Amino acid sequence: MQIRTIKDALDASVIEGEALLDVVVEHVYASDLMSDVLAFGKPNSILFTGLATQQAVVSAHMAEFKGVVFVRGKKLKDGLGRFARDNHLALLSTRYDMYEACVRIDCVMRGKVLLLEPVSVAPNGTEMSLSHELCVLGNDFANAGMVSTEVKSILKKIGLNPKLVRRVAISTYEGEMNVVMHARRARVHLTVTPQLVEVAINDEGQGIPDVELAMQEGFTTATEEMRAMGFGSGMGLPNIKKNADELIIKSEVNKGTQLLMKFHIQ
Amino acid sequence: MTTQELIEKVGLKPLSKFENRVVEGVYISDMVSDVMAGAKSGDLWLTIQTHKSIVPAANLVDVSAIVITGGKEVPAETVELASKYDIAILSSELPTFKLVGKLYALGVGA
Repeated sequence: MQIRTIKDALDASVIEGEALLDVVVEHVYASDLMSDVLAFGKPNSILFTGLATQQAVVSAHMAEFKGVVFVRGKKLKDGLGRFARDNHLALLSTRYDMYEACVRIDCVMRGKVLLLEPVSVAPNGTEMSLSHELCVLGNDFANAGMVSTEVKSILKKIGLNPKLVRRVAISTYEGEMNVVMHARRARVHLTVTPQLVEVAINDEGQGIPDVELAMQEGFTTATEEMRAMGFGSGMGLPNIKKNADELIIKSEVNKGTQLLMKFHIQ
Repeated sequence: MTTQELIEKVGLKPLSKFENRVVEGVYISDMVSDVMAGAKSGDLWLTIQTHKSIVPAANLVDVSAIVITGGKEVPAETVELASKYDIAILSSELPTFKLVGKLYALGVGA
């Protein structure tokens, strides 16, 4: 995984090493105990830590890590950037706490691993079925739309009717954007059987207090910032309803929302 | 009319690597969700929205090209992503209204 992917997933700022963002790291090591890092850290890792001191940066270098991410918005004291620069270590800072930072990376990694799995298609095309799980991160505007793009490619690859693919893609995109704008994260399950395409988007987040109201065209809780990016015109859920053959929404405030979209094949 | 013919006839500047396609119609909007709801496959999408998110949106609704009007500068990351998916991002110095006049005169989407 590139350091850039980690930066995007954690919405992190780069303290040092803009030029190192394309560097690939193989593991994440999360710890505040530097003796642990030195004992168990593997080379080519990136360190997640709440310890914003010289000790953390030096330990990461000794353990042959490629970078350090400071969690909980910790900022490094002046002067430490130089050591990192001289030793080609990227330093990032994220506002997320350690748990959330780790979960977000885990989410991205699962997504990536699953994408590598071959899509199973039966030779006659009638018995095909597949199941994929992808992940969407809240507030990750940098990658907004990537999961639905992936869903579209998968469905295209197995040769579904382009009109159906477009409807699934648009609905998934709207669901994905809702997660990016309003939730912490979500798992997206794509299931295809000979009769049905199902997309389930289960998020952890604030939930929808009044689903009926949210279904009305034009109703939105998006911020000005989101609207500046062209989102939040209150068309998302109505648009899904228009494109899906069946839409089931279950939501619990402060827990999350489950969106199930069904599309009939033929 | 194809994307390439349009570029020549209207004087659009291609910014990304793209696949030449038939332009079936025109859709104008700066709200991504509105495009998702209203644009048709093969439409030319006119907008001043330059955020990277226009690329997945264009790909998903399957527009033939995105035209950024009013000479608005397009961020490099938006162009890079568009090139990755072979989606044409074309730039026009004309404001949307005037560009639409030209397209209409050419019979695009009429």
